[in-house]
Amino acid sequence: MVTGAATLSDTSEPDVGEIVVSARGLSKRFSSAVLAVDNFDLSVRRGEVCGLLGPNGAGKTTTLRMLLGLVHPTAGEMALFGQPVTPGAEVFRRVGSMIEHAAFVPYLSGLTNLRLYWEAGGDRFEDADVETALGVAGLGDAIHRKVKTYSQGMRQRLGLARAVLGRPDFLMLDEPTNGLDPQEMKAVRQLLRRVADGGTTVLLSSHLLSEVEQVCTHAVVMDRGRLVKSGTVAELTQSAVSAYVEVDDPDRAITLLRGVPGVAEVVHDGAGLSVRLDGIERWQLVDALVRAGIKVATVTARHQLEDAFLGLLGEETVR
Amino acid sequence: MMALLRTEAVKQARRPRTWVALGLMAAIPIIITFALWANPPQLGREGGTDLFYLSTHSGLLLPAAILMVMSRFLLIMVAALFAGDAIASEASWGNLRALLARPVRRERLLGVKLSISVALAFLATIIIVVTALVAGVIAFGWHPLDLRPFAPAQSVGTLLGHLGIASGYIAWSLTSIVAFGFMISTMTDSPAGAGSAAFGLYITSSILDNITAIGVIRNVFPTHYIDKWQSMFTDNVASTDMARGALLQVGYIVVFCGVAWWYFRRKDIMS
Repeated sequence: MVTGAATLSDTSEPDVGEIVVSARGLSKRFSSAVLAVDNFDLSVRRGEVCGLLGPNGAGKTTTLRMLLGLVHPTAGEMALFGQPVTPGAEVFRRVGSMIEHAAFVPYLSGLTNLRLYWEAGGDRFEDADVETALGVAGLGDAIHRKVKTYSQGMRQRLGLARAVLGRPDFLMLDEPTNGLDPQEMKAVRQLLRRVADGGTTVLLSSHLLSEVEQVCTHAVVMDRGRLVKSGTVAELTQSAVSAYVEVDDPDRAITLLRGVPGVAEVVHDGAGLSVRLDGIERWQLVDALVRAGIKVATVTARHQLEDAFLGLLGEETVR
Repeated sequence: MMALLRTEAVKQARRPRTWVALGLMAAIPIIITFALWANPPQLGREGGTDLFYLSTHSGLLLPAAILMVMSRFLLIMVAALFAGDAIASEASWGNLRALLARPVRRERLLGVKLSISVALAFLATIIIVVTALVAGVIAFGWHPLDLRPFAPAQSVGTLLGHLGIASGYIAWSLTSIVAFGFMISTMTDSPAGAGSAAFGLYITSSILDNITAIGVIRNVFPTHYIDKWQSMFTDNVASTDMARGALLQVGYIVVFCGVAWWYFRRKDIMS
């Protein structure tokens, strides 16, 4: 992952993969009052599974729409596979996408929707990866039913099927697990790992941080249209070590830990405490509790990306 | 281009609304024919020699009579519906973004959608004419018209020729309404709104055209010449106003389609 200094024709790093997505100085202003994306830089290399994170209104979907040629940027430049992004560009033949909720022609069957979507681009349906797509959709005989009879989850799965129909080199998904039950969400995560293992680059927008943590190799955090931080998921979570502890006297533990250098935050979390660490290790936390005579029942590392995300957004707000 | 045209044609062909609208175009001529057959009009009862009276003397005139009434309301409404639906329905379903995320140029999509809208409007006209012709011939026969002195005599060939010209003229006269509905369709996610706007243009134009006090300005209203084909049947004369009407449509088509093209190319696809 390279951001900021990356250019559309950056060849100064020969040891890393081909740049699949490159955006520089990308901005989108919808009106004088709404600056959705503000001088945003993004670079995703081949094989990466990149999570695009941010609170509601951060500009994630607008960014994805610009990368698909659906929204015209006010400023900046962007390229997919080194080719400038323009509406309807040929390069979209290599891209599978699902933006926001999956939508279809309601009076046509799921299968007909897939066929017409594919053939509209001038490709033969016989050349598409229909078998994989139907596997992803998992609709069985319902694939022949009209889409208007589908549940939201079925539509979402059909949307994912549409995205992988062309064996894309690059998959762009916006909140792909919206409307899915936990089992279906797990299946989507497995699908993303499978396509990534097959060499497909993925850019995934999601508000489910655990999902991003499980699936993505890289992450980009944006807020109010701006890039906050980017890097590998490991890099992002490194600075945000946190722990969940269960002790015999939570109130005393809170008072104690708030005075321990290197503890950034302590809050009640269910039966235990959630502790954000900034400069000390988890064993030092346990040591401090035990030395104070507090019995520790459980210590687990948890919500690392969530902590990093909240920490980054907190810093951004302060700025 | 052909692949996109084919996929869009399939979408329309499988749409229940298309069949309902075109079915209506076929059903109404049959109903009118039955009503005329059951209760034939008398000369002068409706205030003169009208097409319905003439059509009871030759089934070949019935399509013209039915076109006369349907082109004043229902045919316009159906054409406006098809045009207003073109882009706005895709947007309202949320399918437009998926379609344009493929290597599909917006100009190409516009061209295909407009072609389909125009083709459906033309098809609606043809269905009216063909259904009315079959029903008219069955009910009133395949005869030349000879009702002198009430109407000029016309042979079967002349009547069929006039019918062909009239059908083409009416279909062409719909194109300004279609182009306007299509333009609005690129600007909204509401197909009903775009269709209503197109029909509204027709209504507004018709109302203004009835105000003779505004003089020659009326000559540029899109509906001003819409009925000028009728003289071919009542007087056996093709009015030069038909040529003016046909030319006027070109101006509106260029303006409305030009705006649609300009707008849609720049539009941010948010739905």
